[in-house]
Formats: sequence, C-alpha cells, structure tokens
Amino acid sequence: MSSVTSVVERLAITALLLLLPGHVVAADAPATANRCATCHATLADSRLAKPATLFSQQDVHRESGFRCVDCHGGDAAATGKVRAHDSARGFKGVPAGQAQIATCARCHSDAKLMRRFSPRQRVDQAAEYVTSVHGKRLASGDTRVATCANCHGAHGIRLVKDAKSPVFPTNVAGTCATCHASATHMNGYTLDNGKPLPTTQLADYQRSVHAAALTKGHDLSAPTCNDCHGNHGAAPPGVGAVVNVCGTCHAVFAQKFDTSVHRQIFDKSCVECHGNHAIAKPSDDMLGTGANAICGTCHSGPDDKGAAAADGMRAAIERLKAGIEGSGSLVARVRNAGMETSAQEIALGTARSQLTLARTEMHASDAARLTPIVDDGLKIVAEVDRAGERAVSELRYRRRGLALSLGAILLVVVALGLKIRQVDRRT
Amino acid sequence: MSRAADAIVAWLDERIDLSALKHFVAEKGVPVHAQEVWYYLGGLTLFLLAVQLFTGILLLLYYRPSAAEAYESVQFIVTQVQFGWLIRNIHSWSANLLIAAAVAHFFSVFFLKSYRKPRELTWISGVLLLFLMFGFGFSGYLLPWNELSFFATKVGTGIAGTVPLGGKFLLRLLRGGDDVTGATLSRFFGLHVAVFPALTTALVAVHLLLVQRQGMSVPLRVERALKPGGRVRQMPFFPNYILRDVLAWYVALAILAALAAFYPWELGTKADPFAAVPPGIRPEWYFLAMFHTLKLLPSHVFGVEGEHIGVIAFGIAALFVVAVPFLDRRSNAGRESPTFTVLAILGLVYLVTFTVIGHYAR
Repeated sequence: MSSVTSVVERLAITALLLLLPGHVVAADAPATANRCATCHATLADSRLAKPATLFSQQDVHRESGFRCVDCHGGDAAATGKVRAHDSARGFKGVPAGQAQIATCARCHSDAKLMRRFSPRQRVDQAAEYVTSVHGKRLASGDTRVATCANCHGAHGIRLVKDAKSPVFPTNVAGTCATCHASATHMNGYTLDNGKPLPTTQLADYQRSVHAAALTKGHDLSAPTCNDCHGNHGAAPPGVGAVVNVCGTCHAVFAQKFDTSVHRQIFDKSCVECHGNHAIAKPSDDMLGTGANAICGTCHSGPDDKGAAAADGMRAAIERLKAGIEGSGSLVARVRNAGMETSAQEIALGTARSQLTLARTEMHASDAARLTPIVDDGLKIVAEVDRAGERAVSELRYRRRGLALSLGAILLVVVALGLKIRQVDRRT
Repeated sequence: MSRAADAIVAWLDERIDLSALKHFVAEKGVPVHAQEVWYYLGGLTLFLLAVQLFTGILLLLYYRPSAAEAYESVQFIVTQVQFGWLIRNIHSWSANLLIAAAVAHFFSVFFLKSYRKPRELTWISGVLLLFLMFGFGFSGYLLPWNELSFFATKVGTGIAGTVPLGGKFLLRLLRGGDDVTGATLSRFFGLHVAVFPALTTALVAVHLLLVQRQGMSVPLRVERALKPGGRVRQMPFFPNYILRDVLAWYVALAILAALAAFYPWELGTKADPFAAVPPGIRPEWYFLAMFHTLKLLPSHVFGVEGEHIGVIAFGIAALFVVAVPFLDRRSNAGRESPTFTVLAILGLVYLVTFTVIGHYAR
C-alpha cells in the first residue's frame, strides 16, 4: 500500500515540476519531502554531510522556503540516490564559476521575485559583478577568483545585517583577506604596473583609523574594504576617483581639495598624503615642512612658495591651538574655584569649531583662505581670556572681602567674649 | 544701654506700657548646668532660618520660576548681579547648615528627654518644624532647574508615588502631572516661598512662645540630683545668655561666609528632560539614609513591594517621633528611660551609617 502511495506521490510531483518554469522557486511549490538532507546528513564524507547540516541549522534561504534542489537541481522527493541525482531531473551538482553566478542571479536578479522576500534589496549584484576585477577575471577563465559563495558562504547563509555573517561590516576585512592576505592564493596576480599584488592590505587596514573606529569604536558606519572598493563590483578606485571615494564620507574635505592646486597634481589625490589601507589618524604634524610633515616630502627650501604656505598654515593652526589650550586652562582654573564659566565654555567650543574649520580649509592649500578663520578663532580666545582674567580678579576681590569680613567678625566675637565676662562678673 | 536707646524705650513706654516686657526681660533666666551647651542649638537653628529668609527674599528679586527661565535666572544671579553669588552661595550653604543644626537640636532634645511633660507641644511643634525644613530642602533643590536637581526630584517624587493608597495621587499632586515638568517647578516654588514659610512662621511663633512660657527644660539627671525644694542655678537671659547666643551666631556667620567664598555651590548644567539619567543621581545628604535604605530593600518581601514596606516604615517612624512624649511614660514620671535613649542611639547610628554608605555607594 505504501509503495503505491509513494509511486502516486512521485508521479504527481514530477508532473508538477514539469509544469513549473525554470526559475520558479520552492517557495511557490507545495510542501514536498526534502529527502536530500535526510541522506546527506548521514554521510560519512563531511564534504557531503556538512552542507546538509549547515543548511538545516540556520540558512536565510531555507527560512524563506527554499530547498536544496532550487540551487542544485535533482529530485528532492526521490528515495534513491540515482533518481535524486538524475541530470534528466535537472541535477546540476555544485554550481561553480559562472554557473554559480547564474544560479544565484536566477533569483537575485529577479526584481519581481526579490520584492516578495526583501523589497529594498538591490537586484544588480550579477551586473555589478561582471564589472568587477573578480568578474572580469572569471570571464577570462580564471577560476581562482571570488564568486558569490566565497564571500557569503554556500550553506548556512546569513543576512548581511547578521553579526555572524562573513559580510557583516566587522567581518568584511577578514573575509576579503581569506584570499587577499594569502601569498599562495595571490601568487601570479599583479598590479597595473606589473608589480606583484601585495598581500598586506589586511595588516595595513588593521592599523588604520578606520579599523579602529569600526572594531574599537563599534561604529558600523566606519569604512571597511567594500566601502571604498565596492562589494559586488569590487575594484581599485583608480586614479582620479579616489577623492570621490573618500568624499563619500569626508565631503567637505573633498570639496576643499577640489579647489586646491594639488587637485591637478596629485594622481592619487587623498592617498598621496594619507595613504590607502593604513590610514593613520591625521595630526597637525602632517602639515608644514618640519619633522613628520608630509608637505616637506615635495616642498623644501627658502624659495619654495609651497613650503612657506604650508609652514604659514601650520603656524596659524598652532597659534589657535595654543590659544584655545591656554584659555581652556584659565577657564578650568576659575571654574574649579567656583566661578560660573558656562558662557566661556560655550565660546571655547566655538573656538574649537574654528580650529576644525581651519584644519578643513587647509585642504584647499590656500593660506589666504585659512587666515580669516584662524583670526576669528583667536578673537574668541582673546574674549574668553579677558573674561577669565576678570573672573580671576573677582576671585581675589571675593577672598580679600572674606578676609576683611572674617576679621570684622572676629573682632565682634572678641568684643562679645569680653562683654560676656563683664556681665557674668556683674551678676 | 546708651542714652539714645534709653530715650527710645522711654518714648515707647509712655505710649505702650512696656512694664510687662521689662519684667519678663529682667526675670527671664536660663538654667546653668553641664549640658547647657545644647541650648544654643535652638538659637543657632533660628538664626540660620533668619539667614534663609533674608537671602531667600533677595534671591526672589531675580529668580524666575519657569522651566524656560529658572536656570538662566540663577545663572544671571551668580554672574551678573552684584553680590548675587554671595547671596546664592550663603542661601545654599545655610540651608544645609540649618538642617544639620535642626537635626542636632532634635537629637539633643531627644537625649535630654526635654520633650517630657509639660513640653509635649513644644516637641510636636519642633518635630513638625524639622519636617518642614526637609520640605524646604526638597522643594528648594529643584528651583535652579539643573540636571542633578531635576533627576533627583524625579527619583524623590517617584518614591512619594509608592506610598500605599494614594501614592499615585500624591505623585501627581507633587509633580502637577505624570512627569517632572515646568508645572512641578511652579508647585515647588509655591511651596518653597509661600506655603512652607507661612507654616514655618506659625510653628516658630508657637514653638518660641512655648519655650518662653515654659522656660528651658532641665535635664532629668540634673533635676533628680537636686535636693527637695532646690532650684537649678539660673543665668540671666538678658544680657548674659543672649550675648552668648549672638556670639554663636557670629561664629556661624563666619563659617557661612568662608564656605560661600571657598566652596561655591555648583550650578551644574541646565536640566534636559529628554536626556538620559546621568550616573550617580542621588538626593541631598539629609535624604541619603532613606534613599539608600529603599535601594537596599529587596523588590518583594512576603509578596509586598519592598519600596512600599520602606515607605510605610518611614511613615511609622515619623509618627513614632511625633508621639514620643506620650509614649515615654517613665520620663513623664521623672524617671530615667533607657529604652528611649537606646532607640535614639540606634536611630542616630542608622542615620549616620546609611548616610555615609549612601554617599560612597555607586
């Protein structure tokens, strides 16, 4: 009886599968037995067993109703290995290379289908991939390049926003480094200039201010590999495009740099001074021609106008910094003595904003534009200093007044003491 | 007395017969014994109350009781108004010294059993005045409308809201709504400058009248040591005792001036009702023992909320304190009452210990 039921069931499923268009997914199909996992989970070969286990534990596709056969083809209802893996029943095995891209794109490039599961998700991943270095190399026959599963995983796929996903912001650098930090894997790949492609990107990035913001500062908006290189369309930004890439976040700096004389000279724009992967926290020391100054690498000598301008801008910024620091300690001193200093603290905040503006304006490489900003800051500092000095005088006045009044009170106390003795004697 | 003063007294005597007053002044005496030093605490509390009244009136000239202007007006007082900083600092420091003096006065009277018959009413009016001083402290703390006072008031009124039966009503009554807002500030201002001062004036008048009418209480031990028909040696109130009182006031004034000049009262940052509660929010030191006790209580005791039990216990303790003269029958009969002495010691140790722990607790 049971075998009859099984035959009828299989016939019915086969008929139904034949009616389905190629890209219609299991979510559309009635619930049928998924026997793939039943067999694969028990196999001794971990290469065959692990995918089934991972897929059944946690996988965004399984949770959305997809089954093994939606990617691998074959017959999920079949009880026998041969029938289940029959190419006549659409069995494809493990999709690799272009076949993998096509398998994923079947759904992920289908806007109508994706709208049902994730309406905001983009559907141009495959199109972007074709433009990436990975995609181009794959098209030319290089099968060592990354395809979808290399970054997202094949089974046990998690949403990008899942912290355990290999493409979650804090995991991206590690995922890219799986290949890019491996000298063996990267062997044979070269830069445009013919030099071997370095494998130090991860180590460099981990020293950078961006990595510190992402991993130590827990700022998920801080950039990692894909924020500058793109993700599906991953490629180096290329000469001339760096300022646009950095400007995505550092918009005002990019705007100032755009008006700078260096815009035409610096091939790698921002990278020329700040580097790329190992971007350190910028400091004022980078400006000018002194020790650790970047400008000094190109500008030097008394006749170099650039050197003079850089040194002038550095001196102006240092003047404002010193002024703010001095005023800050004066305000702290009078505040600790109990004076009300909130107005001065607000003013110092404005002076600090001027310092930030000056540091930003410096990217235009024009000392004449920086000077008025610094001067405005110095005016505020001078006003705070005057208020601070007035507060110091007021403090001295208060303490002198206190000493005088305490003296007067002491005199009265002594007089009262004498008077008490006198009246006590009398009574 | 100088000639001018004599002339003024004579002028007044001609018009309003001062003979009764003169008699009172000439006859009034203060008992002299080993514990007489505690008598000065009452006068000191009164002096500090007068300082509060004087500085409070001056602050009222500039203070604006609204959420939008309160903080700025206090800021104006301490930065722009001539000697405004001094008046505000003295008002803040004096408030704390006043409560310290009132608490010390309370315990000295308790330990000396001065509440015993016939001074029950003096005791009750004094205890009510002490509660009023706490009310002044609680309501005045919010008036600068700074971050610390805002959140401390939120916590404090929240505790009032846990009073069983009518707690919610009390909370809304205090806050003028469900949350601490400008309406709360208006209410606290009204209480601080009108309701509490009126009640205080009436109670101080009753308290002083009773003290003058009944004279100073003599400690039980001194009284019991007297021979039958004997009388404790007296010191004339005018001028001997009042001069000593004035001397103590001057010392308090010197301390106040030094505190105001060297340890100015911080204004902090303006209250922001939408800001997160800053860490370390706690009430003024005189509420710390109660606050810390409530914090230590488990959430539920025998199915009853811990806070409810705490609030009920404090209520019972307050009623007990008011009723002490009627409960301590041994003192009323002129006998030593060690039970009440032990209770006072336990109360004092609890208050000091929990205040210190509450101060250092995170």
